[in-house]
Parts: sequence; structure tokens; C-alpha cells
Amino acid sequence: MITIKDLLYSYNGQGEPVLKNLHLEIREGEHVALIGPNGCGKTTLLRHLNALFTPDEGSVVVDGMDTSSQENLKEIRSRVGVVFQNPDNQIVGMTVEEDVAFGPENLALPPPDIRRRVDEALVAVGMETFAQRAPHTLSGGEKRLVSIAGVLAMNPRYIAFDEPTAYLDPVGRKRVLEMIQNLHHRGIAIIHITHDMNDLLDADRLLVMDRGVIAIDGTPRDVFSRLEAMRSLGLQLPQVTLLLHRLQESGCALNTNILTIEDACTELLSRMNSLKGEPDVS
Amino acid sequence: MIHIGQYITGNSFTHRLDPRVKTVSTIILSIMIFRATWFDVYFISLFFLMVLGLSRLKAAPILDAIKPLIFFAGLLFLLHLFFTDGTALLELPWLHLKITHEGLLKGAFVTWQFVALVLSGAILTMTTPPSEMISGLEKLLRPFKYIGIPTQDIAVMVSMALRFVPTLLEEFDRIRLAQTARGADVKTGTPAQRVKAAASMTLPLMMSAMRRADELADAMEARGYHSGPRTTLRVLRVSGLDYAALSGLALFIALLAIAGVYVG
Repeated sequence: MITIKDLLYSYNGQGEPVLKNLHLEIREGEHVALIGPNGCGKTTLLRHLNALFTPDEGSVVVDGMDTSSQENLKEIRSRVGVVFQNPDNQIVGMTVEEDVAFGPENLALPPPDIRRRVDEALVAVGMETFAQRAPHTLSGGEKRLVSIAGVLAMNPRYIAFDEPTAYLDPVGRKRVLEMIQNLHHRGIAIIHITHDMNDLLDADRLLVMDRGVIAIDGTPRDVFSRLEAMRSLGLQLPQVTLLLHRLQESGCALNTNILTIEDACTELLSRMNSLKGEPDVS
Repeated sequence: MIHIGQYITGNSFTHRLDPRVKTVSTIILSIMIFRATWFDVYFISLFFLMVLGLSRLKAAPILDAIKPLIFFAGLLFLLHLFFTDGTALLELPWLHLKITHEGLLKGAFVTWQFVALVLSGAILTMTTPPSEMISGLEKLLRPFKYIGIPTQDIAVMVSMALRFVPTLLEEFDRIRLAQTARGADVKTGTPAQRVKAAASMTLPLMMSAMRRADELADAMEARGYHSGPRTTLRVLRVSGLDYAALSGLALFIALLAIAGVYVG
């Protein structure tokens, strides 16, 4: 479990704090999506999870280890992996395989163990045939998968993703989202920062951040039912949810607590069927 | 884009040698080339042909490696040809120049040295992947660790610099196009204007490289990079092949020395 208590943080320890007395618990195996307007502190929060930043006040504790303590650093970094926004700036190896090996090498594992972890991680993301390729010859989606493999090779309990689908084409986006879901099924807790509301439909829990605090915390359905709160934060609902809300506003009795296109179809069809036979259907 | 001496995938005898063995052999060979006498030239050349044969490299990439040097090799040859004192073979009085017997020999010799040196380096880099080369160098330089030189960090740094060359080239291309689209022009105008236009392309590249470096440092730290000890995926192991190669080289040096004594 990652426990964040009273987290206060400002850049260089001065000026307006970016995170203000933030409280949060992330449990093992959870899939948490994190949304919020630009500059609300999402990325800063993410950097606290594996001790890249440490709190000015308050504490971040990963599985009982305080991130402020130097001797926990190695263990925390292998438990909490971070996949950053731009894969180009986190791939350090000259080949895919060497890059994936970077983390285990830093853990000073024996070479045969490194080999095993690299192979497993590459198979897990489906990039095993790319092992010898140079990173610049890969597509955006492939690079992202390599950066995920690099984190996976550390055997993390938690992986934090910072906008993993940014700049990807639909195919790459789908592969990455499936991969995240896949990792979740393996029991790894996922913390997923996103701007795209359609990316977070798989999440168990949705956090909405606003100006340095967690403003809303609930299941995606819960959160999206608070239309006014979301609007006041300048956040969009998924398109289907928005459509159902509009239909309801214009007088259709509908269940608006729906996030996926499939569910929306079912709801609309059942509504239409129940109207059948009534003479005044307009 | 083909770079000079770029690694060419293969599985030849030379490819399979340990990078340390190859590096040390190349250094020894370079010293021999420097200290060679005319007598040695033939034998070292023969030895070279043998190594080339063992590397199974095609002629085209080797010629590509030499091509940019033809100009310098030619210049070197001409300088020695004209400016060495000795018995004149041909006088060109209207140029105040003369070609001497000694000059011809010296020119040919120096040109041979030059080409041989470049070739020995090219064979090394063409048969050794850069990553292997770096781990080899790191192991060779390991003794320096004991006088406080961070050889492992240097190895990581060098490999990362190589990793980012194509990325930065791509980036430069993008910036160049973007600035050209906005009217920057490095091809025409006064020199001052052109320098200014060039700055409009290099400055953004530097800014972006700095930003990259910043993010990269975070990513490395997040993946557990620290100043402590680390291991590597690749383990270098000296095999029978390597001993064979080293014995071959030793035998060659011994034969050359003995032959030199007999003939000289």
C-alpha cells in the first residue's frame, strides 16, 4: 500500500505549493486513474510515488518504507515503476534488450537473472522479436511498450503511467491500453494519469485532482454522475455519457450513469423498445 | 545513413572475438604499423588481408571507409614526394620542385601507414557492435577505477551519447524544416546572415537537448540508477577463439622479429 499523508510540496521549497496537504491511499492491485486540469499537480504527485521528489511536509510511505529515507531508495524504486510521458527520453539503451536490462543492472543482479528478467519483460509486452533493434527504428507505440518493459523488468508492485497514450495513433493507443489492463490482471497496481476520458473506463477508481488536492475520489461511474462538479473543474465527460445527459435534459427518461458505447446502446435500445406500441413516440 | 566504420552484422571469426581481444590487438597492430620498416610492410599487409578474409566483410563497406580519406592520403603522398631531399628522379624547374627517389619511397610508405591505420580501426568497429565495444573498453579501463575514475559511469555515458545521436539528428531535421518553413535560410545571403540563420537552428536543438537530458536523468533515477555498483546483462568471456587469435598475433610478431634479424 502507498500511503500519502498531509503531503505538502512546492518547487525548490518555496512559493505557492503545488501539492497542498494531500491525502491518498493506493492499495495493492488497484487500478487508479488520475485526471485533472493542466498544472493541478498530477505529475508532481506521481514523482512522489517513487521518491523522485520527497515531501516538504507530510509523508509518502510505500509498503511501510518512507520515501524520505535514503536507505529505502533502492527498494522503493524497484517496487514503484514510473513510465514517463515521452518514451524517447527514457530509453537509455542502444538496443531494446539493453534498455530493458538497465533497471535490473542498476539493482546489481547476477547476469543470468538479468537475462531472464529481460526476456520475460519483452515477452510480456510482445516485443521479444525486437530485442536487437535500435530504439530510433521503432514506432511511437513500440517505444512506449519498450519503456513499459524496462519498468516491468524491475518486478514492480506498482506502475505509474504519465499520459501513456499521448501522441499515439489509434493502434498504438489500443496496444498500450490493453497492456496496462494486462498488467493490472497480473496483480500490479496501476496509477494512470490521463487527459483522455475514454482511457480510464477500465479503472476501479477515479481521482480528480484540482489545485494540489484530490477533489473527487470514487468509482468512474460515481465521479461521472457529478456532472456539475466535473464541469466546474473544466473536465469533459466521456462522449457517450455526455450524450445521455443531453438526452435526459431534453426530456428522455434515461439512465445517464453509463460510460461505454456498448452500455449506451443497450440502454437506448431498451428505452426505444419500451416506447414501441405507444402511439405518441415523437 | 551509413557512417564510416559502422557495425555490420555478421558471425565471422572476427565478429565472434571478445571485444577486449580485438581492441588490444588493434592497438598492437597500430604500434607495429607505426614502427614498421619497409621489410615489414609486405608482411603486415599480408596479415591484414588475412584478417579481412576472416572478417567476411564485403569490399563495398571497406572501400566506403577509405573513400573519404583518399584526398588526405593523396596529399600526404604528394607532400613527401616533392619535399624529401635526395637523388632526383625528375626535376620540374619551372615549379622549383623535384621528385626524388627517397621522396617516392617515403610517400608510398607514409600513405600505406595511414591507410593501414584507418583500416585496422575500421575492421574493429565494423565487426564489433558499439555496445560490446563499450563494455570491452570499460573492462579494459577498469584498473583506473582504483584511482577514482568512474569507469562504469563513463561507459553508461558513452553508450547513451551514441544512443541519442540518431534521435538528435532526427530532431535537428525537424527543427531545420520548421525554421525553413518560417523563412530561415542558411544557403543564401551574406555570411553574417547565414550564421544568424544557422543559430536559429542550433539554439532550439540545444534547448531541446537540455530538456531531454533533464527528463532522461529523472527516468534513469526512477529506474534505480545510482552511484553504487551495478552489473551488466552482457558478460564478456574469453573463449578458445580468442586464445587462438592472440596466439596467431603473437606468432606473427615473433616470426616478423626473427625474419627481421635474419634479413637485417
